[in-house]
Amino acid sequence: MKTLLLLLLLPLLARAHVGSPNVFFEGHAGPHAVRVSIRPPAAIPGFAQVDVRVAEEGVRIVSVQPAFQGAGAPTAPEPTLATAVAGDAHLFNASIWLLRRGSYAIHVAVESPRGSGTVAVPLQASALSRPEMPPALGAVLSILGLVLFASAVWIATAAVPRRFTALAATLLLGGALTGGAVRWRKMDREFRSNALAQPRAVSASVRTAGSTHLLQLTRDASTTTTWDTLAADHGKLMHLFLIREADGNAIAHLHPVRRDGQTFEGVLPPLAAGAYHLYGELTYETGSNETLVTSVTLPSPLGVPAQTAVNMANEVWCQSPPAPVGNAAQPFALDADDSWHAGPRPAQPRTSPLMGGSRMVFQNAGDFIANRETTLRFAVFDSRGEAVALQPYMGMLGHAVVRHDDGAVFTHLHPLGTISMAAQEMLTPRAATPAPPPPGTHEVTFPYAFPRDGDYRIWVQVRINTRVVTGVFDVRVR
Amino acid sequence: MKSRIAQIALLLAAAGVPLSLLWDYSWESTIGVDLLWSPPHVSTYLAIALAALGALVLAIRERAARPLGAWVALWGAVAFLTAVLFDRWWQSAYGLAAGIWHPPQLLKAVAFFAVIGGSWRCAPGSALAGGSVLALIGVVALPSTFANRQHGAPFHLLACAVFPLVLTALATLGRHRFSATAAALAYTLLVGAMVWLLPLFPAAPLTGPIFNPRDHLLPSPFPLLLVAPALALDLLLRVRPGTARRFDAWGRAAECGLAFALVFIVVQWTFSTFLLSPAADSWFFAGGGRHWPFFLQIHPSAKTTFWPEPGADFTPSRALAATAFAILSARLGLCVRR
Repeated sequence: MKTLLLLLLLPLLARAHVGSPNVFFEGHAGPHAVRVSIRPPAAIPGFAQVDVRVAEEGVRIVSVQPAFQGAGAPTAPEPTLATAVAGDAHLFNASIWLLRRGSYAIHVAVESPRGSGTVAVPLQASALSRPEMPPALGAVLSILGLVLFASAVWIATAAVPRRFTALAATLLLGGALTGGAVRWRKMDREFRSNALAQPRAVSASVRTAGSTHLLQLTRDASTTTTWDTLAADHGKLMHLFLIREADGNAIAHLHPVRRDGQTFEGVLPPLAAGAYHLYGELTYETGSNETLVTSVTLPSPLGVPAQTAVNMANEVWCQSPPAPVGNAAQPFALDADDSWHAGPRPAQPRTSPLMGGSRMVFQNAGDFIANRETTLRFAVFDSRGEAVALQPYMGMLGHAVVRHDDGAVFTHLHPLGTISMAAQEMLTPRAATPAPPPPGTHEVTFPYAFPRDGDYRIWVQVRINTRVVTGVFDVRVR
Repeated sequence: MKSRIAQIALLLAAAGVPLSLLWDYSWESTIGVDLLWSPPHVSTYLAIALAALGALVLAIRERAARPLGAWVALWGAVAFLTAVLFDRWWQSAYGLAAGIWHPPQLLKAVAFFAVIGGSWRCAPGSALAGGSVLALIGVVALPSTFANRQHGAPFHLLACAVFPLVLTALATLGRHRFSATAAALAYTLLVGAMVWLLPLFPAAPLTGPIFNPRDHLLPSPFPLLLVAPALALDLLLRVRPGTARRFDAWGRAAECGLAFALVFIVVQWTFSTFLLSPAADSWFFAGGGRHWPFFLQIHPSAKTTFWPEPGADFTPSRALAATAFAILSARLGLCVRR
């Protein structure tokens, strides 16, 4: 009896990332280094599969507890004990039943003789795919339906042996079937409009103010949520990516400013004119993430706009343009962390030239298999082949963007995984601040699993010598 | 399998359907994990399978007599199989996001009524069959019949539209003079069993958020006091001599509808007040506003009060409408023939 579960229906839940629903996290649960991957169910309610890989030996207990956002810690069920996977002493698996759509904090607790610790991994649970009935099932149901229809008419004529009984029964049953089909279509339409997690459509436009092109994003007026309740993720309310549609050989990573609850605006870098795919990522104060998707056509650049400068690698501003008193009429410079890249198509799968003569090496470039967990490893070397120390870029060693050539998959990755740190902080206010990346390292890694086969492009952005540079790699996934 | 045994199997299986559905409601409201092969679902499958077997034997052995009830029950079993296949795909595709009363769920309801209706047709005088019909109606209308809703117009309009049909048919078709009362008693015991037995089993929610912690299975809501109006109908239709010749069918329907509405509304109105009071907070009545599904976010004050719903006040005009529904429903019940 699911009648009361009707009360659990929630309004539309937009989705972070595009076509990449699995969640990957690499970090620490207390003293224990862990890697957590979560495969959410395709429909809610359903089972989410949680895999926890621990780095050390002797882990005794791993447990998983889903806490629904907004309901408070006391409403969480008892933790589910994860079972060790046969043949791998470091891997534990748990299935947790997610009852409602919405944001969860998945608490992973690890216990060993060294001590115990917990980490919360944010997860958004929502319907992931458009329902499609398999043809074989459709055929079976159709046959059974015909049998039921015919036998119902026969029973009706046996019960009421009158002249028009068969006709009346046929009309009645036909009406009932039609009503059922209409109801199905209506429910399906409402599901696709309101319940299916999908990127939020927005409109993008470009206007020119003096010698600056400004990109403006406007929220769709039909949606009820506004952009008034956003949380900053690595200090930014929005991370926006522009990728040239024609060949993907130009990319920009921008951080427009919020003008009001419906609008973001930012200065455009000097990208070549043309059509671009646009992806914008937001985190709300509730901990839920959202990806905005649209296209925009950029005009020819008017020159290189000003950019607020980052003088030191620890991102403390030592100098900046004079700040106007009150709100500026418009953005006047690129954000200090804005970056853009344009270059030829990657010539090699393992090496990408960087601005300034350095190169980025994709250390485990090769065969990737869809839905198999992996770690994407990159390292930076100078022209002499010596390792180049990476500087923090918005608090991390690097940022990666993964996009399938057909646009069905788009993900923004960090070394700690696919999660939003802002979401993690919203869901667990007392979570420890992640340790800053160790100084001097020249490598950056990203845990991930490609969700489907095909051709992908990966852009990896790191900061070296105070400048953000981008490595570009093409990958084929089987 | 002999015909008599097949008939008994069909009747027992039909009674098992509402029992398994009430168990399922309790399971989902307490534990929350809804799987294809969970124990309540398995009990429903077994009940339908047993009903199908009994109906098949009856359909073969009694084929000369054209056993309509067996055919209807068999049709219901095939409809249930179709609905289960459809529903499993629906749950994996839509989950609950598309709504509760989706096409597979509607087909399941039709299938259940077909199985139970078919069993009643095979044994129209059986109190168990009649009680199973009443119990299934109660299960389908469960959220509308919470004690907190029993001072609202929708509850009484629904009850007066549905129950008189079944009770008058039971009263006129039954072998005994108190057939409707016996069926109402059977309904009370069927549902009562789930009120009294379920909370004996420890259980806790395996998912969250948990707004109403539980440590035992949720008891079913206490059955409606249909025994009272059923007794009134038996007295009118079977006990009082000369009734059949005094009025025509519409006259009898008016008499029965009026009696049902008056007795049911007064009795249930009073009893629901008791059910929400602390005095009903006991194992027997499972009232007092204590028992709620774990996932239901409900304000503490709302647990023991009658819920005000816009436009749902039980006004005199709505009481008249309920009476009219009861009369029409009784008239339909009088049309049911053996």
